[in-house]
Amino acid sequence: MNAAVAWSVLAIILIAVYITWTAGRLDRMHARVDAAWAALDAQLVRRSAAARALGVLSVTRAADEALDATPERRQDVENDLTRALRAAWASLPEGAPRDELEAAASRVALARSFHNGAVTNARTLRRNRLVQLLRLSGHRELPEFFDVDETGFSDEEPGPLT
Amino acid sequence: MRVGIVCPYSWDVPGGVQAHVRDLAESLIDLGHSVSVLAPVDEPETAALPAYLVAAGRTVPVPYNGSVARLCFGPLSLARTRRWLRKGRFDVLHLHEPTVPSLSMMACFAAKGAMVATFHTATARSRALQVFGTTLQPGLEKITGRIAVSPAARRVVVEHLGHDAVLIPNGVDVARFSVERPAHDRPTVVFLGRVDEPRKGLQVLLAAWPAVQARVPGVELVVAGPGDVEPPPGVRVLGLVDEKDKPSVYAAADVYCAPNTHGESFGIVLIEAMAAGTPVVASDLEAFRRVLDDGEAGLLFPVGDAVALADALAALLLDPERRRLLAAKGSRVVQAYDWRHVTREIVEVYETVRAAAPVELEELEEPYLDELEGEDDPSRVPETLRRWLAVVREAVER
Repeated sequence: MNAAVAWSVLAIILIAVYITWTAGRLDRMHARVDAAWAALDAQLVRRSAAARALGVLSVTRAADEALDATPERRQDVENDLTRALRAAWASLPEGAPRDELEAAASRVALARSFHNGAVTNARTLRRNRLVQLLRLSGHRELPEFFDVDETGFSDEEPGPLT
Repeated sequence: MRVGIVCPYSWDVPGGVQAHVRDLAESLIDLGHSVSVLAPVDEPETAALPAYLVAAGRTVPVPYNGSVARLCFGPLSLARTRRWLRKGRFDVLHLHEPTVPSLSMMACFAAKGAMVATFHTATARSRALQVFGTTLQPGLEKITGRIAVSPAARRVVVEHLGHDAVLIPNGVDVARFSVERPAHDRPTVVFLGRVDEPRKGLQVLLAAWPAVQARVPGVELVVAGPGDVEPPPGVRVLGLVDEKDKPSVYAAADVYCAPNTHGESFGIVLIEAMAAGTPVVASDLEAFRRVLDDGEAGLLFPVGDAVALADALAALLLDPERRRLLAAKGSRVVQAYDWRHVTREIVEVYETVRAAAPVELEELEEPYLDELEGEDDPSRVPETLRRWLAVVREAVER
C-alpha cells in the first residue's frame, strides 16, 4: 500500500514537472514569435520607407497604405506594395535609390523566414494533446504565418534568396 | 559584433565544415567583427591553433553517416562550452551542424539568446534525429535563423525539422586559389580527398584509369589526400596536402576529377578547382550539377560509371580548346561563391537574428555572475557587485 502511494506521488510529481516545463516552453515559443514579428514588422516599415524614397506616385501610395494598415490587412497591403514596386521597377526615375530598396527587401525575406520558423515551432507544440487538453496556451491566439511574395522586382535579376 | 562560432568536428583534421568555419571566422575578423571559435582539438600540443580558436577537448571516433566522424561530447567539454559561452558574451552564436551529437548540439542546449545554425549535410537521414527524434526538438527550436549551404541540405532541414532555411552557399577565397598555372609536359588529372573513404569515389576513378591511359599517351594521375592507397602504375600519390599547397596542386592539373558516389552536399572542391582555373569532370550528383551550372561549367558523368568517366576524361584531355572554354566559364561561376560576398550575406542573417531573438533576463545577469565567481581580478568584485545589483534592481522595478 505504502509503495503504491509512493509510486503515485512520484508519478504525479513527474507529470507536474512535465506540464510546468511544457507550459514554460510554450511561453518561450510565444515570446520568440513576438520577437520575430517585431523584427519582421521593423523590416517591412523600413521597406516602405525605402519605397517612398523612390519618388514614384503609385509606389508611394502603396507604401503609405502599408504603413497605415491594420494587422488583419497587413499581409495583403504588403503584397500590393510588392506588386506596385514590380510594376514601377523598369521605369524608375534616374538616380532612384534602388540599392536601398533591394537591401530592405532582402532583409524582409530573412525576417519573414525566421518569423515563419518560429510560428511553425509554436503551432507544432500547440497541436500537442496535453497542451490542448489543459489549455496551456491560455487566451493566446494561434500564431499566423506571414506570407509575402518574395520574387524579385525585375525579370533579369533573381529575387533575394531564391 | 561579437560572434561565437561552434564547430563540431576536430580542428586539426581536414574537412569541409572545419574549412568553412575557419574561412568564415577569418573573413568576419577582416570585416572588423570580434570572433571566437569553439572546436574540438585532438592534439592541442602540436596543432598550430589560430588566436581566435578555443579548444574544447579531444574527440571520439564514431561511425556516422557512412564515414567515421570524430565527435566531441562529455562533461568536461560541456563545462568548457559553458565557460566559453559565459566569457564570450556573444551577440550572436553561430552553430554548425547542430543535429550532429557533438559540440554544436551541446552549445545549443547550454546557450541562450540569438542563435544561428548552418546545416551542411545533404545526407537524407541524421542518426541523432532518428534515435532521439522529438526529444531534440526543444533544444533545436531555440535556433532563430537557419542557413543551408545547398538546396539538398535545405531539403534535409525541411524534412527533419519542419522548417525552411535560408540558402547561402559555401564560400571560397577565390583570390587564394588564383595562383600561376605552372607549365608541365605530361597531361595531368588530379583527385583530392580522403582516399580510403568510398563515398569520395577514388575506386571509380581507378577503375576508369586504364582506359584513359590507353587513349591519352603519357597521362598522369595525381592523388592527394589522407589515407593509404596502393598506387597502380601511372598514379602518383601525394598523401595529405597542406592547406596552403592546395592551390598549386589544383593549378598543376589539366583536369580535376570529382568521382564522389554520394553524400556530397555542396562540392567545395569543384569551386576551388575552378578558382584555380582547372576544368572539372564530376559525377552527376545534384550538388555538383548545380555548381557546374548543369554541365555548362564542367563535365558531368553518371554516378559510379567508370566507362563514362574514362570517356569524359579522355575527351577533355585531348581537347585544349574545350578546356580553355570551361576554365573561362568556371572563373565566372566562382565569383558568386567568393567569401567576401558570402560573408556579407551571413552578417545580414546575424543582424536579422539579433533583432528577431527575444532578450532574456538571464542574459543580462550571467556575465556579472561570472565575474562574481572570482575568475577575474578579485579587486573588481565590489564594482561588479554594484553593477549586478543595479541590474537586478532595474529588473525588479520593471
